[in-house]
Amino acid sequence: MDLDLARQAQVGDESAFAEIVRRYSPRVFSVASRFFRQRSLVEEAAQEVFLKAYTQLGSFEGRGSLEGWLTRIATNTCLNMVRGAKRRPEFTVSDLTDDEASWLDHQSAGDGEAPSVENELVASDLADRVLSVLSPEDQQALLMIDGEDASIKEVAEATGWSESKVKVRAFRARKKVREAMEKLLGR
Amino acid sequence: MPSKKTAKHITEILDNASTSALSESELNEVRAHALECGSCRSTYEAARLSAVVLKSRAHVVVEPSPFFQTRVMAALREQRETESVPAFARLWKSAKVLVSSMALTTAALGVLSFALPATTPDEQALSAYSAESVIMGQTADDQLSYEQVLSTIYEDDDDAR
Repeated sequence: MDLDLARQAQVGDESAFAEIVRRYSPRVFSVASRFFRQRSLVEEAAQEVFLKAYTQLGSFEGRGSLEGWLTRIATNTCLNMVRGAKRRPEFTVSDLTDDEASWLDHQSAGDGEAPSVENELVASDLADRVLSVLSPEDQQALLMIDGEDASIKEVAEATGWSESKVKVRAFRARKKVREAMEKLLGR
Repeated sequence: MPSKKTAKHITEILDNASTSALSESELNEVRAHALECGSCRSTYEAARLSAVVLKSRAHVVVEPSPFFQTRVMAALREQRETESVPAFARLWKSAKVLVSSMALTTAALGVLSFALPATTPDEQALSAYSAESVIMGQTADDQLSYEQVLSTIYEDDDDAR
């Protein structure tokens, strides 16, 4: 089914490619959202992924799923975009907003605030701060494994890295993030 | 009962997997040790909070807008059009304004060179003299010729005698 769709799109059937975009946009957006928070950047990356996929349709042989193939293109495209962008300076404790400091205080005191949209946003902002100490590749490995409960094998498939490389990246990243968090807690 | 595990062992457990992925026995082991060891307590606390913020970050997903598919298809058509135009035509498209303006300038300079009469060296000298005259507040008619100057001098001498 996926292979038929890919072949039709490859010979110039626009409706077939439009169907691929419609069907797999949520997946591509989900991958791009790991790298970017701003909607405009996520959309730009997703568009780039589909344009690249169109030119590479001939290399899709139907052995795996089209979704998996697109996930890999999306991951590599986003990694390239992030590598090309100016790296954010590493965070310092003084950069913490009042909301973030308060969230940390409540959490470490054991009286975690009730889950709310605001608290989730504060927590994900904090995640971005601690993730900024990592390379884009290590961020990916850690976000997929610890954030999305992906297996080592799934990360290896999505990125094209070996499983041992994924394990090493995840271990190293987890350690660095924990140390960054310890620094924030001991501020 | 004091935990037999070392701080290094606890740190290794915490760095090998997210606290949310640890087994119950591993968690108990870590917690038991953390009760006695201040350093491991803060390590565990940091690992626990790291797991919480990473889960929150993973929930932040931007959904595709309803216009995304249209946007991609438009970009695809544009890309295909660009690819179908030969390389020389694409180069010409971007360079034609520059090339046209250079050609126009050359043509204008050519017209000016051939259509306007050239000036002779005498005219140039005259022009220079006339310019001097203007500066000195004189015209060419006010100038005395060499003979006029001589005759004026000799006239004065004759008068004196």
